[in-house]
Amino acid sequence: MFKSSLKIVLGTTVAVSLAACGGAGGPGGGSEKISDGKLVLGVLNDQSGPYKDLSGPNSVEAVKMAVEDWKAAHKDDAVTTDIEVITADFSTKPDVANTKAQEMYDRENADIILDVPNSAAALAVATQAKNKKRVYINVGGGTSALTGASCNKYTFHWAYDTYMLANGAAKSVTDSGGKTWSIVYPDYEFGQASDKLYTGAVEAAGGKVIAHIPTPFPNENFATFITKAQQGNPDVIASMHGGGDLANFFKQYQQSGGDKSTKVVGGVVFLSDIKSIGAEPLKGMQFTDSWYWNMDKEARAWADRFQEKVGTRPTAINAGNYSAAYQYLEAVQEAGTDKSDDVVAKLEGKKINDIFLRNGEIRAQDHRVIHDVYLAEVKDPKDIKEDEDFEKIVTTIPAANAFRPLDQSECSM
Amino acid sequence: MSEHLVGTSHLETAATAAPERRERAWARPLYLLLALLLACALPWFIYPPIALDILCWGLFAISVDLLLGYTGLLSFGHAAFWGSSAYITGIVAIETGMPFPVAILLGALAAMVIAVPTGWLAVRSTGIYFAMVTLAFAQMLYFVANRASGLTGGENGLQGIPRPFFGMELIETEAFYFYYAALPLIILGCFIAWRTVHSPFGRVLLAIRDNPARARALGFDVEGYKIVVFVISAGIAGVAGGVFSSGHGFASLNDLMWTTSGKAVLITVLGGIGTLWGAMVGSGILVTLEDYLTTLGFEGIGIVTGTMFIVIVLLFRRGIWGSVQQAWHWALGKARLRWG
Repeated sequence: MFKSSLKIVLGTTVAVSLAACGGAGGPGGGSEKISDGKLVLGVLNDQSGPYKDLSGPNSVEAVKMAVEDWKAAHKDDAVTTDIEVITADFSTKPDVANTKAQEMYDRENADIILDVPNSAAALAVATQAKNKKRVYINVGGGTSALTGASCNKYTFHWAYDTYMLANGAAKSVTDSGGKTWSIVYPDYEFGQASDKLYTGAVEAAGGKVIAHIPTPFPNENFATFITKAQQGNPDVIASMHGGGDLANFFKQYQQSGGDKSTKVVGGVVFLSDIKSIGAEPLKGMQFTDSWYWNMDKEARAWADRFQEKVGTRPTAINAGNYSAAYQYLEAVQEAGTDKSDDVVAKLEGKKINDIFLRNGEIRAQDHRVIHDVYLAEVKDPKDIKEDEDFEKIVTTIPAANAFRPLDQSECSM
Repeated sequence: MSEHLVGTSHLETAATAAPERRERAWARPLYLLLALLLACALPWFIYPPIALDILCWGLFAISVDLLLGYTGLLSFGHAAFWGSSAYITGIVAIETGMPFPVAILLGALAAMVIAVPTGWLAVRSTGIYFAMVTLAFAQMLYFVANRASGLTGGENGLQGIPRPFFGMELIETEAFYFYYAALPLIILGCFIAWRTVHSPFGRVLLAIRDNPARARALGFDVEGYKIVVFVISAGIAGVAGGVFSSGHGFASLNDLMWTTSGKAVLITVLGGIGTLWGAMVGSGILVTLEDYLTTLGFEGIGIVTGTMFIVIVLLFRRGIWGSVQQAWHWALGKARLRWG
């Protein structure tokens, strides 16, 4: 009897001490605090369609860089070093994004999904994040519904949104003397929404929109619309077009010998657009940018490392993915676990400065990440000294003024 | 007059088909049972949302096959019916909270209503012109849906479509259980297609496909028949689109895009035109292949599916299922010769 109790006591002691050792974990091993012993970061974006250059494979590389950098920064104290980056291409199909997101969360145990540059797809993935209670950080998508009517506890919006794009350029250009505007927009839902947003922002800044000019979408010949836009000699002509339409519009605008004193503004422009169109037709165009690789030393240093690895300069979305992945890992480290609720609690309200975010803050109320954004201008090709150095930062728009104020958000979590 | 002729043609085909039918009497229930078992087992082997996608695209392609294979009409605008039903199903489910099968059937009904004027105009042309008219209608609907953002959500899509089902939470939230709840609707769609093909009405369609002039000479209202089958086909496409948007929980402009129509035609050709079930086989192959390719980091998904399409069209004119059927009959014939 005594013998057997001793056995039990001994056995229990051994077991407990073993468990304790195991729990402490060797460096590099996963611990119980991390589900399945490892962190899985899923990057879901467009790797074969129109957003490939904006985000795509280069964003996957950026996330991998973030993981490496984070591991290097937390050599010994890292909560886990077993971190996997998985990726899938939804090639702009929202239903594929929806299925893939479920698969990543359910089957591949992704702790977080990043990116998703398409409005409908982004909102569908946000719903999945809410249902599965896992973290989702959108970087490449623009719809401000993610932090508006469709916001939820597990979804964050990192780099930019349509509100900020319109607000940034409209306000700073109006403030610098562009009082009267003509807005030319593609006549479909996105264009109409951009027109409304710009009009609101221009009027709020004390300017006036004297002409709203819808164009067919897609469109080749903009001559009549350009003439209409020039009537009444506006200070600013803004085009809400994207991609091929953007190129056509500005080429034809230059050919029409537009008044040099008239400013031109692009509603939705990214570095990848300028790269594919070329600087010549777009020179002098101003637009809102959330980040530019040559905007300061810190961004530049990271862009150099990025170029070494990928062979090209990063877009704002690439950098945003790096930043989002890195800050997620930081939050996991602080929480000591990958449990979504704990990680979200660490992310909410966090103030961040990194290679991408300047004066950044993750707003706890709607999960909009606010940060300094910039009014950028496309350089004249004559002034471009370095490959891919297309942009000049005109002004910095402080974080507090750049994004939609909380009282205008329909978000309730 | 016309009725009498339908009756006659039915009798004739039944008579000519009689010997074949007798020896296959045991086979048909067996095949159907096997297909049903396969459909029930699918989500155990394949990730359930993908299994549901296979069924939806399969049924959608069946609706295209009903026109292409059995009436000789290539519709290149079937996304109009798939997509409009996807939206209507979503709107009904969001606004009224009716059980999802009701929402889907209402969506399919809406697709049929839209199909009436479309069909009325389109059936006056054939071949490439028919394809163009249907495509034009689908594009028109696409832009209408884009503009009507108050109703459809525009670019953002119609998000957060619930699938109410008498408070049964597993079905409402879990893709695996929803699959089984939606399966009867898919089977209903398949049954309607099968019944249409194997009816006197279906025989007339074949006659119209093979020789519209003679069918007209026999007194059949060729346009009338075409409109009816067009509307039936739209309804089936609508069921598929409704299940699709319920399953995914949202509808997007992508559902109305011409690429969606193209995918349905691709699946039909891949599976085998005029085989009905081939559409399910084609869908199974294409959907799983696309899903597999998304994670490979391979940029040319279109290149793979396109190449496959070219190979099938050039080498296997009957499609995958058609070729398998042919090989099976050939093997059966051989076996019969040998063992009597």
